[in-house]
Amino acid sequence: MTDLLQLVFSGLAHGAVYGLVALGFVAVFSVREIVNLAQGEYAALAGLSAISAVAMGVPLLMAAVLVVPMVVLVAVILERLCIAPVKRMTPLVSIILTLGISTALKALMLLIWGPQARGLPAFPGSDLLVAGVSIRSQELWILGIAAVVGAAVIWFYENTLHGKALRACAEQPVAARLVGISPRTATMVAFAIAGFAGAVAGVAGSPIYFSSWEHGLALGLKGFVAATLGGLTSLRVAMFGGIMLGILENLVAGYIDTGFRDAVAFFVLLLVLLVRPQGLVLRAPVVRV
Amino acid sequence: MGTRLRTYAPFALLAAVLVAFPMVASTSMVNIGVYALIFGLAAIGLSLLMGLAGQVSLGHAAFFAVGAYTHAILITRHDVPGLVSTVVAVLAAMLVAFLVGMPLLRLRGHFLALATLGLGIIVSVVVRELEITGRTSGIFGIPKPEINNRVYDTPQEFFWLLAPVVLIGLVLARNLVRSRTGRALGAVNDSEVAAECLGVNTFALRLRVFVLAGGYAGLAGVFYAYWLAVVSPEASGFLLSVKFLLMVVLGGLGTVWGAITGAVAVQAIDESMRTLMPVLIPGASGEVQLIGFGVVLVLLVILLPGGLAQLWTMVTARLRGSGGKARASGEVPTVAVAAEHTARLDAAAGGAALEDVLAEAELPERGTVVLRVSNLTKRYGGVVAVDGVDFEVLAGEILALIGPNGAGKTTCFNMISGVLGPTAGSVEVLGTRVEGKQPHVVAELGATRTFQNLQVFGSSTVLGNVKVGRHLRSRSGLLRGMLSMAGGEERQIERTSLATVAALGLESETDRPVKDLPFGRQRQVEVARALALAPTILLLDEPMAGLSGAERAALGDLLHRTREAGVAVVLVEHDVDAVMALADRVAVLDDGRLIALGDPDQVRQDPAVIAAYLGTDEQADRLVRSAAHDHATGEVS
Repeated sequence: MTDLLQLVFSGLAHGAVYGLVALGFVAVFSVREIVNLAQGEYAALAGLSAISAVAMGVPLLMAAVLVVPMVVLVAVILERLCIAPVKRMTPLVSIILTLGISTALKALMLLIWGPQARGLPAFPGSDLLVAGVSIRSQELWILGIAAVVGAAVIWFYENTLHGKALRACAEQPVAARLVGISPRTATMVAFAIAGFAGAVAGVAGSPIYFSSWEHGLALGLKGFVAATLGGLTSLRVAMFGGIMLGILENLVAGYIDTGFRDAVAFFVLLLVLLVRPQGLVLRAPVVRV
Repeated sequence: MGTRLRTYAPFALLAAVLVAFPMVASTSMVNIGVYALIFGLAAIGLSLLMGLAGQVSLGHAAFFAVGAYTHAILITRHDVPGLVSTVVAVLAAMLVAFLVGMPLLRLRGHFLALATLGLGIIVSVVVRELEITGRTSGIFGIPKPEINNRVYDTPQEFFWLLAPVVLIGLVLARNLVRSRTGRALGAVNDSEVAAECLGVNTFALRLRVFVLAGGYAGLAGVFYAYWLAVVSPEASGFLLSVKFLLMVVLGGLGTVWGAITGAVAVQAIDESMRTLMPVLIPGASGEVQLIGFGVVLVLLVILLPGGLAQLWTMVTARLRGSGGKARASGEVPTVAVAAEHTARLDAAAGGAALEDVLAEAELPERGTVVLRVSNLTKRYGGVVAVDGVDFEVLAGEILALIGPNGAGKTTCFNMISGVLGPTAGSVEVLGTRVEGKQPHVVAELGATRTFQNLQVFGSSTVLGNVKVGRHLRSRSGLLRGMLSMAGGEERQIERTSLATVAALGLESETDRPVKDLPFGRQRQVEVARALALAPTILLLDEPMAGLSGAERAALGDLLHRTREAGVAVVLVEHDVDAVMALADRVAVLDDGRLIALGDPDQVRQDPAVIAAYLGTDEQADRLVRSAAHDHATGEVS
């Protein structure tokens, strides 16, 4: 029983990181219908940058806070340089393009930081033992940060005028332009939010799950799986899906085999796509002929 | 004969280059060449999948790894002869592709890409975990291939062993692109719904190409295992999948040649990056060539989406001056135009007429019920688009379906043709219930359609579009297509397609890209395409829209001929005058309900019809006026 609680709790924290990455996927997809394969790279980049900042003597929390806007900037610049110039964005093109961006970012991180995985020092606080379950303070940090950031992103998209306008861009581009929302701005904001969510996930997760140049791939795929649960358009389900995926992975690792934890996401993806490809909550897409 | 020579000349040239290369190049260059050929072989398969079937695989290394590991296991642990183990390894890769493709290929665009990425990850997890695959260290000691006591162990020897395989692989793939299957897949890429309505089983075709691509990758994996003598988890890595994808994109999507040129280019980038990066950035280690891959991918999408193939056509077009322009849009400019023209004339001389084409359908006795729609209903949430519609269509009649905008006419068509599943009710085509079935099933029974919102196959010519209409009237499959053994059938397709094109008066446009035609002409292409199928039931959705008066009259004549042949024609049309003149019976829909059904005169006088049309639009006024003209005016007010 304690084992189970332990696995569930540490899975919760790991899943919160997936959930944040998933928010980034949804943030972009619901505005531009692009699955941004570079989403996981934002997290890796944030983690590695923060590690370097700390090594240069910047205090830990300040480093953690500083890298976030930096990654947001990188995400927006890459959007301007690589995504914006493409006129006819089909799914095939968007996949090739974001795969290219992701690959270049990976390689850049490899060149700068080398192949080893590293971790940021843990955020301040002491670990706890509650009912036999050991709780690391970093896990509490992750849960707290994920809750605040997740709530903020969801609130922005669902309750503010700007957030709603962003989604309107995806559904009715012409109408959105008529009421004064430019698709250009909308895309930039969407990528900024994606960079933000990814960076926060990377920095908060780094002390436990480490950061490395190739980390973004697996993290991105898991975030995508979580986002798929919400049909790539529901932020709430994406966040929740991430958490569930984290827990499930931990259970598989704990009760079956650690080696197979990375395969869990794929099985979940297959299952979701087979049973309800439109996501767990979304209405079916309508084809017009 | 001349055509054939010109078609195969590039392959002969490639063969000569492949023979000569190991003799003139240094050993290290030949070594790079071996890798380019191995990866190129996998890229050919991926190129078919991406360029032809329009599907992305981000985990293509998975199939490569299955081939490599299967081969390694069989040859080192079970002493299976090399050739047998090669065959088994390729089959294993194809089996995995089949099992994975069954569920995955029902997904679209983004999802398939990510699902295959997941597959790649799962395969690398599995090979790292299992004892049988040697965990992280892999499988060692694979002997070099030995045929007739000749051991292929130097780069030169191995290159010569590999080159013919790659060349054959390339020829087979290129044949496939030109075959009936290739044509159908190209059509699916342009408009899936139209291809389905012409009887193309989209899913089955995609699955076959996916399995084939898996086979190519598996065979490449076998050669990889032979050459390296070791198979490690690296063979299943994401990096390799990216590399395959880059080869295809860099070479040019949609041309199988691109896979080979792309493979050579990518291997060159790979090698130069590995040498260059550590010099530029001291201490750089690991997969530094990735930076080149990533940057090239992004630049390609933005600057040169057609890859090296696009560059090639641009350069040759410039060299030839404006003369090259016409060819620039074609895939491989090797068609001997003159020879083809003579063939066309011959075909026209012994030409099949439209009636001959239509007679291919075993048309039932005139007056037999061929389509029966009962209680057909479609609801969207609370909105009822079609509400309990019943009607029958007889062989050899023209039934017009009219009604104001939003009356549910197109929704009816969609449900009959299988594009939409009804909420309730049934559709019977020649006695078989088809509601909720895929459109290709309905087409196989003999019912096909055209579309209100045009669904032409935009990347093809007029003739190319019509040829897809012959899909169900021809049989050659993937294998015959690859072996180019369907020549007789292709000539038959050409002949009947030309006859159908001529029946629509489109002869002068035969070889023009369909997208260059005005909308009205594109509509006629859709009609020709549907007629080419030799349908029993022909559903036309607003075929008159965008046509001139003369063209309308010609289309009217054509539809009468079609009816005389015994085909049942159902048409949705806005032009009421045209409908009344053309149709044997008229069905009127209003607000999803069938409010009248009868011969044109009856319908014209029907008070419910007049009420439905009053004040809705200009055609309605005309209907009212024509009714008023024939009968008492008091009835209208």
